[in-house]
Amino acid sequence: MNAKLLAQLQAQIKQLDSISAAPAIMMPLLEMLRLPSEKIRVEKVVELVSYDGAIAAQCLRLANSPLFGMRYIETVRSAVMALGLERVRSILFGLCMNRVIPKDKWVISSDAFWRHSLGCALVTQRMAKNIGYPEPEKAYLAGLLHDLGFLVNSILYTEDFRECLRRAVEQHVPLHVTEEQVLGFTHCNTGQLLSEHWGLSKEFVDAARCHHDLSLLPAAGPLACLVHLGDLLCRVRYLGYGYDEILGVDLGGDVAWRTLVATYPALEHFDLARFTLDIDGAMEQIVATVDSVFGVNSAAAPASS
Amino acid sequence: MAIEIASAKAGPSRDSNPGDPAYLKVRDLVYRSSGIYHAEEKLYLLISRCARRMTALGVTRPADYLEHLTVRPNCTAEMRLLLNEITIGETYMFRHPTQLEALRNVILPQILQVKGLISLKRLRFWCAGCSTGEEPLTLAMFLLEEKDKLLAGWTWDILATDLNDNSLEIARAGVYGEYALRNTSEALRKKYFREVGNQKLQAGDLLKSQVRFDRVNLSDDNKMLFQKGIDVIFCCNVLIYFDLASKRRVVQHFYSNLLPGGYLFLGHAESLFQVNDAFHLVHFVGATGYWKPPSGYVVGGKTGGDKK
Repeated sequence: MNAKLLAQLQAQIKQLDSISAAPAIMMPLLEMLRLPSEKIRVEKVVELVSYDGAIAAQCLRLANSPLFGMRYIETVRSAVMALGLERVRSILFGLCMNRVIPKDKWVISSDAFWRHSLGCALVTQRMAKNIGYPEPEKAYLAGLLHDLGFLVNSILYTEDFRECLRRAVEQHVPLHVTEEQVLGFTHCNTGQLLSEHWGLSKEFVDAARCHHDLSLLPAAGPLACLVHLGDLLCRVRYLGYGYDEILGVDLGGDVAWRTLVATYPALEHFDLARFTLDIDGAMEQIVATVDSVFGVNSAAAPASS
Repeated sequence: MAIEIASAKAGPSRDSNPGDPAYLKVRDLVYRSSGIYHAEEKLYLLISRCARRMTALGVTRPADYLEHLTVRPNCTAEMRLLLNEITIGETYMFRHPTQLEALRNVILPQILQVKGLISLKRLRFWCAGCSTGEEPLTLAMFLLEEKDKLLAGWTWDILATDLNDNSLEIARAGVYGEYALRNTSEALRKKYFREVGNQKLQAGDLLKSQVRFDRVNLSDDNKMLFQKGIDVIFCCNVLIYFDLASKRRVVQHFYSNLLPGGYLFLGHAESLFQVNDAFHLVHFVGATGYWKPPSGYVVGGKTGGDKK
């Protein structure tokens, strides 16, 4: 991407604040995302979650879903106690993120976007736990945020982005391939810019920017690698963008995997097939959870899911 | 009544102990001749299979049955009959449609491209452990449907093997009921099968001619060495019966049976972890396969992973 296009995009992303349908708690929530976990205050999280009745209800439904351990949680405060501050913060952010796009501007279906983001968050976090990455909650958030660029593309470039999706569905290729053809940039570029605009830390920015092409980073950090693999695993297990991609991925030979193996030597003895099988069960739960939290009519769900 | 009398006369007697050491010896014999291993918690399965053979022979004591498997003149034949009982499997056509999608979308285009360069327009498939033939016939229908599209100008052969004579006999006859055909569309039924009454369908000549059925014991090293130049092997839910050592040996054979760039498909829940690390696990949409990389392939040499 050349400097001129970059400057243009940066200017346009600033307009996003006025166009988007972001809930009122978005800005204070973003501020909280920038805090290290030990500085987050329970009172603040409870206040933010409770601010919007609909969001609070969805948050509780998610907290009670089997994905998060199927407890009986009645209040926001007990959700924080049961799931931890960081997880509730991430859940809340996910809920707000989904509201950023005004209803008439969704290009990928909002269910597909939610399933993919939530799926990637959970898979990335599980993998992080499995390999002994010290901050699995961070991995969850990075997985949740990796496709922020879709928000930008849907809101600012709605019609062109529709064309990207049309071509991708027709050719069964990943969206970033057709974005490059039609827009001249990808959701990775706009995702990077939006997360910078929102002041997210560099690791999240990198994960958003490089999750389709790690060679962009001189030395890919473990978080970007985990998100890259989480994204791929979701897409080969029907949690992609809501259409059939043609994919054949050698995960063990993937540069992200090799990078992780270099950092965590125990990974050399990791049963990827077993891990895939384990997350297969989680995938079904993710679909069921997203459907129940957002009241998706299963008949309208994409055929592949 | 007749049945009751028969069961009183033959089959394991009521006081025959499941922990009878004779069963453990039978287990070892089965393992040695087929690689199929019954761990402690699976021993009841072996006992119930032995029971059927004991009933047929009119034997009541496990120790007597052991004799039939070891010192009697027909012991080899008896082992074969017992293995037939052990390896009965029920399956149906188009059980793994995602494997076929992977074949159509990724694997065959890859293989055709490479083989096309050396103008060797022939493909070889092997269904190892084909049971009663549902899997190879599914593959045959899939390939016939691609004949004028993806596979225009190409020929193929499908080798389907099993250890079980009874299964192979059913496979050769090609007569199937509703259970086996439950995932098969009306169009395909009409095109490749004929009605034979009793609500059963029989594979037509065209379909049958696509598959060659043969008895192969996967633990028979001599026969395994003989299968060469295969592009894709299907071995679904067969290795689950094997212990680690036999699994390793069989999979190593598969590896040398395959051409470089070829694929091995296992059942949904099977993993080659700690069995073989020469194969690469490849994820397709809804399926996983094991890939034999061509020589000179560098792990991690690619960037991005999903770039088209």
